[in-house]
Amino acid sequence: MTGWTRLGLDMNRCVGVGQCELLEPDLFRVDDDTGTATIVGEPVLPSQRAEAIVDQCPSGAIQIDNNINPTLPKLPDTD
Amino acid sequence: MTSAATSPDIVSPAIYLEGIPHRQFSEIMAHPGLLWHPYQDGGFWVVSRHSDVKAVSKQPKLFSSAVGHTNLWDLEADALEARRSIIDTDAPDHTRIRRLVSKVFTPRNINLWENVTREIACELLDDFQREGGGDWVNKVAAPLPIRVILSILGVPVSDADYLVELSNYLVEGTTDKPTLAPDAFGNTTDLRLLPFRSPASHALFEYGEQLGLKRKSDPQEDVVTQLVMAEEDGNRLSAAEYRNLFHVLVFAGNETTRTAIAHGAMAFAEFPDQWKRLEIDGEIGAPAVEELLRWATPVLHMRRTATADTELSGTPVSQGDKVVMWYSAANRDPAVYDQPFDFVVSRETNSHFSFGGGGPHFCLGAFLARMEIRILLEEMLNRKMALRQISAPTRVASNFIHGILSVEMEVV
Repeated sequence: MTGWTRLGLDMNRCVGVGQCELLEPDLFRVDDDTGTATIVGEPVLPSQRAEAIVDQCPSGAIQIDNNINPTLPKLPDTD
Repeated sequence: MTSAATSPDIVSPAIYLEGIPHRQFSEIMAHPGLLWHPYQDGGFWVVSRHSDVKAVSKQPKLFSSAVGHTNLWDLEADALEARRSIIDTDAPDHTRIRRLVSKVFTPRNINLWENVTREIACELLDDFQREGGGDWVNKVAAPLPIRVILSILGVPVSDADYLVELSNYLVEGTTDKPTLAPDAFGNTTDLRLLPFRSPASHALFEYGEQLGLKRKSDPQEDVVTQLVMAEEDGNRLSAAEYRNLFHVLVFAGNETTRTAIAHGAMAFAEFPDQWKRLEIDGEIGAPAVEELLRWATPVLHMRRTATADTELSGTPVSQGDKVVMWYSAANRDPAVYDQPFDFVVSRETNSHFSFGGGGPHFCLGAFLARMEIRILLEEMLNRKMALRQISAPTRVASNFIHGILSVEMEVV
């Protein structure tokens, strides 16, 4: 299955590693005051990329947000 | 645990004088399921496959860092409490302490230290080149990371030599033949209550406390000031937590990167075609840095303790069992790496575990270490400085730290 996936952030888990900001600087930023990540963009990514971001978040704070079904244009070249 | 097949010996410190026991690990990995390794009065499960290390790291509730200890041996309750650092905690304590320092080590903020790092690297490499070579550990691998971490923490860099000396004694504490007398450095604390059972830990605690007092009365724009302020306002960090965190930052901030840089130089000396390749590329890409990290595996293992009955690779694991992740093995797992015993600077994907298996305890200094290694290699490349190894390394007899005490290199 290809498509789009929305990501969410569990603030209780985040330890502020900054892996998300490194991978997707337009979507995530670690707040220097709180030491935790914040969502700064629309956290919707091609599903495969979203899964990789989830996998690479050490604290498990970044999760797939199943509550919202993103309505976005169909990805090009995905069949 | 009962009646599981038994692992070959991978813990006797003497084995590590010859390097990581890869032959034994290959044997262990080829065995389906997990093997049980006898140790002291009990034993532990040997977790060696890449996928199993990841599974343990990613389930911090099931595989606790706070129960027992993160080293192979158990600690009495009082010792565990006295020595508990950010490494031996679970959420929510781990989360609270880590957030106090995490911002300093994010990729964005680590980039701010690039110039300082480059300055130090240039000075050390220029000296090394002028002398035509020498002990790579003593001249380059050790001084670079300690000076950088001290700069970041706000510890006087003039104390670098003293802190390297303490660090050496701490590593020695992971071997079976420590040389310090129990009362060294004026220590009066029961060794059981000190990290690595080393009087050098007492000295490092004392140093951190004195510096903390200074920063309380005369605050600076540095990490130590931030930590002692967190201790003062609102109890966000207890005195014991401060002491142990300072200890971890100094020790982990220098020992591990120093080990990576030592193994890195040896790897390029052993695989000179890989250095040539970087010379042809004219730049140090991320794959070269990651391969150096994989190759070095500075921390050989970490232990977790199962908090419930579970199963790993088909082997039942009981609540209370020790589960030890051998990064040294997983970083050579043939299921993940082609030619795992070759040093290849162009590996496209390299999900090594030299910063841990990817759970919440993921190395705090990972981006710092990567930056330091990249800058050092860049400056070697700028100087067209290839190394030839002219002595066998003197290794640390430790199953925990992949340490190199000295190795002679010649500039070619």
